[in-house]
Amino acid sequence: MIELLEAVDELDFIEGCCLMQADQVLSSTFPASRRHHETIAKKAFTYVFTNASKLRSTHDEAHLEIGEKRVSGFKLEGSQILICLSSKQTNVVNVRNNVRELYNGLQQQAQMA
Amino acid sequence: MADYKILFTGSVCSGKTTAIRSLSEIETVDTDAKVSDSVIRRKQRTTIAMDYGVLELNENAKLHLYGTPGQERFRFMWQLMMSDLVADAEALILLVDNTRTDPFKDIRFYVDEFRDYLVKRRLVIAVTHADVRANPDYNYYMNQLKRMGLFTTVMFIDARDPADVLKLVKEVVGRREREVDWAALAAKLADNSTVPEAVAIPDQIVNNDAAKPVSLIDAAVNTRGISGAMHLGADRKVISSNVGSMQSQALLKAMVNLVSALEQKAAFLGKIDNFMLCGEEQETLSVFVEEEQALGLSSDKGLSLTVVKQQASDLLQWSRNDND
Repeated sequence: MIELLEAVDELDFIEGCCLMQADQVLSSTFPASRRHHETIAKKAFTYVFTNASKLRSTHDEAHLEIGEKRVSGFKLEGSQILICLSSKQTNVVNVRNNVRELYNGLQQQAQMA
Repeated sequence: MADYKILFTGSVCSGKTTAIRSLSEIETVDTDAKVSDSVIRRKQRTTIAMDYGVLELNENAKLHLYGTPGQERFRFMWQLMMSDLVADAEALILLVDNTRTDPFKDIRFYVDEFRDYLVKRRLVIAVTHADVRANPDYNYYMNQLKRMGLFTTVMFIDARDPADVLKLVKEVVGRREREVDWAALAAKLADNSTVPEAVAIPDQIVNNDAAKPVSLIDAAVNTRGISGAMHLGADRKVISSNVGSMQSQALLKAMVNLVSALEQKAAFLGKIDNFMLCGEEQETLSVFVEEEQALGLSSDKGLSLTVVKQQASDLLQWSRNDND
């Protein structure tokens, strides 16, 4: 999934992203000045997706708008979570569609390989 | 004959249609339709395209009155009007509903939306519904606008009273049209008044159930695509809720707990606006946060997140009415 992280990071409106699994960051492109956002996002998305699982819900995407920024969390296969940082002014649907498209593309590539 | 144009804009229920009806000497052109969203809290019908009316100021001057639809989802009409119909208007009159939770949020929004349009014309802010809620008062408006860097005219009006709305017209074209007899014009328009004292209200309207105020929760579920709502106070405790599914209720509460914790521990990052949880096979759950209250919504997974945000913003802007 590092490929996904790299592809998402290429998107103009993404200011940083990170891939985490079981509370641990596997890889991150968050700028140093936005580390606090990364920390908050890690905790928030782990908490909400854990709660969703406990309640047998299949929610797999979350967006938190804080200050001038938005952190978006996408639950991937293998309980990994992709976190993206964008400006609050960026259309949230744009963030979602691009991440989903890149993720689906990479999954298809993996299946063909 | 001189032809002047004025464009009225402002949030839903700010009085645009009423102001134009107060001034127009012709039967106004309205494009209203039954409300299908959070606006139901305030009225049953709303403008979906535009309002138009005409007022003859004197033998040599005519005023064309245009009103935008208030809802943000019809903003394409704003662009259409600005670039064509009212590209040559004298002024933009921004009607501000004083009963909204934060009228200045509306001012910031509309000034931002019409920023380019305002470069070449005047902005007049007309505060309405001050008879329902007197504060913020004139001085507060002037101070806040000064802080926002907006140096403009502010007038408190009753959109139902032609003489009041006429003051706005005088403010905009009065210096150029010195021959207008404003007092005579006000007298001529007096029949357009819909101020309650001036009209007899039939019993069937007084007793009409539809006229009863709609609660925040009822308004939310009357909104297309929204299935449940949870209203929370400043302490983030539930005031009322009608979220049906136990799963959604539990998840919304977990989201509210998280938001409360972040408000305390991550305040240095800025204010939390909203938190949304989505899934391809699940309804969307969202929490919208303001200092004095919060709103949790469960909505159809197909409903655009942007629309959910707009609806929540409108619901919260009027929610103070519950406590009145």
